[in-house]
Amino acid sequence: MLAALCMQGLFAQHHGIFIVSYPVAFPMGDLSDYINKTSFRGINMEWGKEVKDNVIAEIETGWNVFYNREPDAVYKQGSASISGVQYRYTNSVPILAGAKWVLKSHNNLVPYAGLALGTMYSDRSTDFGLYRISTDAWQFCVRPELGITFKSRNGPSLLLGAKYYAAFNSNDLDGQSFFTVNLGVVFPYGL
Amino acid sequence: MAIKLTRLLGILSLFLISGCYPKGAEYVEELDLVYTNYDPQYDFAGKHTFAIPDSVIEITGQAFEDPDGNHKPDFLPAASAQVIVNQIRQNMTSNGWQEVPKLSNPDVILLPSVSTTVNLYYYYDWWYWGWYYPGWYPGWGWYYPGYYPPYITGYRSGSLFIQMIDHSSTATDGTIGVKWSCIINGLAEGGASSINSRVQSSIDKAFAQSPYLKH
Repeated sequence: MLAALCMQGLFAQHHGIFIVSYPVAFPMGDLSDYINKTSFRGINMEWGKEVKDNVIAEIETGWNVFYNREPDAVYKQGSASISGVQYRYTNSVPILAGAKWVLKSHNNLVPYAGLALGTMYSDRSTDFGLYRISTDAWQFCVRPELGITFKSRNGPSLLLGAKYYAAFNSNDLDGQSFFTVNLGVVFPYGL
Repeated sequence: MAIKLTRLLGILSLFLISGCYPKGAEYVEELDLVYTNYDPQYDFAGKHTFAIPDSVIEITGQAFEDPDGNHKPDFLPAASAQVIVNQIRQNMTSNGWQEVPKLSNPDVILLPSVSTTVNLYYYYDWWYWGWYYPGWYPGWGWYYPGYYPPYITGYRSGSLFIQMIDHSSTATDGTIGVKWSCIINGLAEGGASSINSRVQSSIDKAFAQSPYLKH
């Protein structure tokens, strides 16, 4: 879609693109140790503008919710033991800036690749009995992505992509990384 | 067409966001916690007899004031106390311990006690008093809960403490060591039979996660 617009020489007149997508998120690393369950709760949004031929500068944000109920179990530390049901939650909000490179295509399917840097806010909460233990952290994040758009005849295009949010360790939490598969819509605006 | 699709997706996004809140506990028993700790240096295997009172102390405040002047603490009602004492007694016996009267020199003594806490949450908006002095100014707040709280809720939580003391030894400063302790915490809400059932299963859990008490 993006390459087609460039070829038509129309993109210079556009303000940019807005992408909203539904992410299915797979926890990785320390996040997977804490909540080893796929997240089907989330939303992702990106705003971009072409700065060079086939290169789009963009900013991104979103919200992914990871959740798991740990059944009744005993947790030991030294001579102490505590048992109960745990409800585990992690809310992740990436705030990134980067670029997308639109690859050449001769049909309606337009592949792209992207890279973004920024920060990710992660809020981890464990409900244990009547008590809640919470930790949150802002972590440096690098996000590569690959995807493909399907340009419709007029207006928005469909998008299918994959992203990997690589979050780095901070003082309070190890890096809360995860991988997403996104299904969304690309809206050009300023036409 | 593009504009209508945008609005539709905007509405769908709201549904996506509203669906992002997972559920928490649905049943009262899911909020029960059982904590145990013990002295790893203590020789549990070498102890065989225990004593336990028939009453359970009810801890009502930070200081023991003896308001009724009977020189005794407050106790749980007998019906509730029997549930707790019998369940402890049953678990100790199953673990190979023998109950003896308190004056027959038991190796250990078990001391159960309970406390309850009422947790209240209320919301009060200072705006209700904005018409009066000093007026409705941004940044001013009426922080004293004056007229009426428009939103109030609360719950009662309870804790059961069980301490096992070594009757046969006393430290040089006169203190008696607690060799095994247990705290059971949960909502003190619901009917008596429901609470009793949860207390019994929690006591069973406390002994199940203390295999060093088994002979």
